[in-house]
Amino acid sequence: MSTLDQKPARAEGRKDPWSQLLEKVGKNQDREAYHALFQHFGPQIKYYAMANGMANHAEELVQEVFVSIWRRSCLYDWKKAAASTWIFTIARNQRIDMLRKMQRTSAEMQVETEDLWQIPGEHENEPVTSLHRLMSERRVRDSLKHLPEEQITVIAKVYMESKSHQMVANELNIPLGTVKSRVRLALNKLKVILQDQNV
Amino acid sequence: MKAHHPDTITLMEFSAGNLSEPHALCIRLHLDECADCRSRVDTLESLGAVMMENQPQTEVSSGMFDSILSRIDSDVSDAGQRVSTAAKSGRRVRPLEKLLGDDLNNLPWKRQLGDVSVLDITDRFPGQKEQVVLQKLAAGGKAPSHTHRGEETTIVLQGAFADNKGVFNQWDFVVLNQEDDHKPVAVGCEDCITLSVLSAPVKLTGTFSRMLNPFIR
Repeated sequence: MSTLDQKPARAEGRKDPWSQLLEKVGKNQDREAYHALFQHFGPQIKYYAMANGMANHAEELVQEVFVSIWRRSCLYDWKKAAASTWIFTIARNQRIDMLRKMQRTSAEMQVETEDLWQIPGEHENEPVTSLHRLMSERRVRDSLKHLPEEQITVIAKVYMESKSHQMVANELNIPLGTVKSRVRLALNKLKVILQDQNV
Repeated sequence: MKAHHPDTITLMEFSAGNLSEPHALCIRLHLDECADCRSRVDTLESLGAVMMENQPQTEVSSGMFDSILSRIDSDVSDAGQRVSTAAKSGRRVRPLEKLLGDDLNNLPWKRQLGDVSVLDITDRFPGQKEQVVLQKLAAGGKAPSHTHRGEETTIVLQGAFADNKGVFNQWDFVVLNQEDDHKPVAVGCEDCITLSVLSAPVKLTGTFSRMLNPFIR
């Protein structure tokens, strides 16, 4: 067995440039690294906001996400999540948080957004560096290339437009069962589905 | 490993941030205790990240990065306090305790007929359509036979119950609908306490039906 085979996790984690940049922000408050992350992820997050129907608040969301990235970067651990996954969950949480705040007063918010939707690697006691975690993003990226367009379309609506499976079915004018089976086929390829589970 | 998990589609809706707050709470409580589902959610969150990466991008306005820098510069807290100490120490937030403010067993339970007590906590989730209830089945007690008009999502918070589908232990997750006619029994020596999110009220099927139904008002 070669040295590479013995250390796939470490090699994989270190190869990801975004995770390295995010680590620099966390450790040294490195503003150049922060700017590089902004240039890469800022436009993605703005599109995410627009796709979610938040056109009037899209730039505000990008700002909130980046301020949050700065504040939390010291908690970031590349062994627990890839930077892009970590940043996606911050964008998701800030979107939820912004919508919650538009709908009600803070006094009404007994549970904070991040009590329900956590950022991977935070609030966790387990020090485990799971190979699964490190590999999952790469596997997802590779598998997605081979998925049929109709499966990707459904998944994109769920993640980018925050539509429930029922809403996706209504919009595409196909039965809910079809939406679910497309998602299951895709998740099977991504190996997310439990072998023994009837879903 | 828990025996009863949320299905993968529900975990996907969770990872995309598309669930209502009460539903997300049920998932969160399960995830805190289930490494398998946590690992599945990790993968699903990576899926979200890769989807975001593969979408078109929208240019941000030119001055935005400077505004962000001035915001982080005006931040009163210094680098060491950028996040709460609780988050830094890795101490787990306990959303349920935060929500209820007391031990599960000391809550102002409303005793129903028989072995069932309930506490409606819908008002803790303003602006939600679903009914959110805690239910307590006394140790060894039986709940009346009932079916469900809509969908009921339940997580076991304490003790265990059994019905025709099996035994549901602490942190097990179960979704029941119109087709499930069940008659749960609390097993073990503790009261069984569950948190349920109901999209429509429960419908009783037994002889004493109407009076016993804790959810008909």
